[in-house]
Amino acid sequence: MRLSKKHDLPGVLIVVEGVDGSGKSTQISLLKDWLVSTVEDVIFTEWNSSRIISDTTKKGKKKNLLTPRTFSLLHAVDFADRLEQIIVPALKAGFIVLADRYVYTAFARDVARGVDPGWVRNMYGFAINPDLAFYFHVPVEVSLERICSNRAPKFYEAGMDLNLSPDPYESYRIFQGRVISEYDKMVEEHGLVKIDAKETIHNQQVIIRDIVEKALEEKGIRV
Amino acid sequence: MKRELKNQSEKGYPGLLIAIEGTDGAGRSTQIEILRQWLAIEGYGVVTSEWKTSNLIAKAIDQAKERNLLHAYTFSLLYASDFADRLEHIIMPALKAGLIVLTDRYTYTAYARDVVRGVSPEWIRRLYDFAPEPDLVFYLKMPVEALLKRIIATSGLDYYESGRDIGLSTDFYESFKIYQRKILEEYSKMEREYNFETIDGTLSVEAIQDRLRKNIRECIDSGVIR
Repeated sequence: MRLSKKHDLPGVLIVVEGVDGSGKSTQISLLKDWLVSTVEDVIFTEWNSSRIISDTTKKGKKKNLLTPRTFSLLHAVDFADRLEQIIVPALKAGFIVLADRYVYTAFARDVARGVDPGWVRNMYGFAINPDLAFYFHVPVEVSLERICSNRAPKFYEAGMDLNLSPDPYESYRIFQGRVISEYDKMVEEHGLVKIDAKETIHNQQVIIRDIVEKALEEKGIRV
Repeated sequence: MKRELKNQSEKGYPGLLIAIEGTDGAGRSTQIEILRQWLAIEGYGVVTSEWKTSNLIAKAIDQAKERNLLHAYTFSLLYASDFADRLEHIIMPALKAGLIVLTDRYTYTAYARDVVRGVSPEWIRRLYDFAPEPDLVFYLKMPVEALLKRIIATSGLDYYESGRDIGLSTDFYESFKIYQRKILEEYSKMEREYNFETIDGTLSVEAIQDRLRKNIRECIDSGVIR
């Protein structure tokens, strides 16, 4: 399916991945500012942000009604909707598309929730293969420190629905630890570019821009 | 070919799962209602579950359809979410409790509709592979001409039932005919693939009901359910 092949659309798709607190949103935002200042035709899209299913997901989360499979399917609905309405048209029009989280988020999180890895990969098989996928790697303790410095972990981000531990902090460590190990496996499987997210923000951004610049040049886009 | 009936331990639950398939206007819901009453009178606990009726997701599907915004994969995944939700909250609990579950449409509906809308047959089958295989699948088969008349006489042509979203024709009647014919083709392929018990949908309500009861009775008598 599409996900396993290079796309031949004129645009460029760049995605960032990593657990909460890995700093990926900061990095993609800096990347965006830079690209907008030089290339202009840039759009940004975020995981779980289409209107089509957001109310349903919210309601289901609130009532804790969602099994891992339904949860997984609903995120796929959101993704499919954004892919067809936003990402594909933009790529056809030659835009640089920046995505904060992509299918790899589902491959990591849903599998950490116990969904079959082959099943979720098949489900997202219709996705466009990104030109670049950065994975911001942090140890789970760093993620926990950054996310929960002034609040307790939230129910789903701590994987509390999985009954791993009654303590939200401990549950977070176990659940996000699983997510990180799923991401680590994907570095090779999906060619994710692994970035050490313990580095300074500036150093990471310098590395990323260098890689992005080369990828854009291959497409004939000069920055 | 007869379906191989599995015993309780192979299935993992003591209940009986019966799916009724067929296109719009084939009379599924009428038959299910009569079956439900019959089985209740016979002393069996019955639960019914209809396509696209989960508390959580059905409304979202209707809203999205109203805006005519659905792409093939989005459409497909929305229905799969609805199905997964009903499976976990209604169908599986009932089967585990030893009830008879009658479903108005099942995964085969998705295999027909979504493939006609352009998703791959392998992809959609893998998507639904978490669904238990029914003990019996009845397919109420209708020729497209009879179907057209029945739908026009009752509900009238609807945008999605006519496949207008996939741009088959700007003429409603033509689009409906082409779309329903394609759906019927997919069902025909599945008759063998999944050993459907095919019943002629143009028969009278009573005649269809007799056929259904006869098959269900045999299934119950074979001891798959107590």
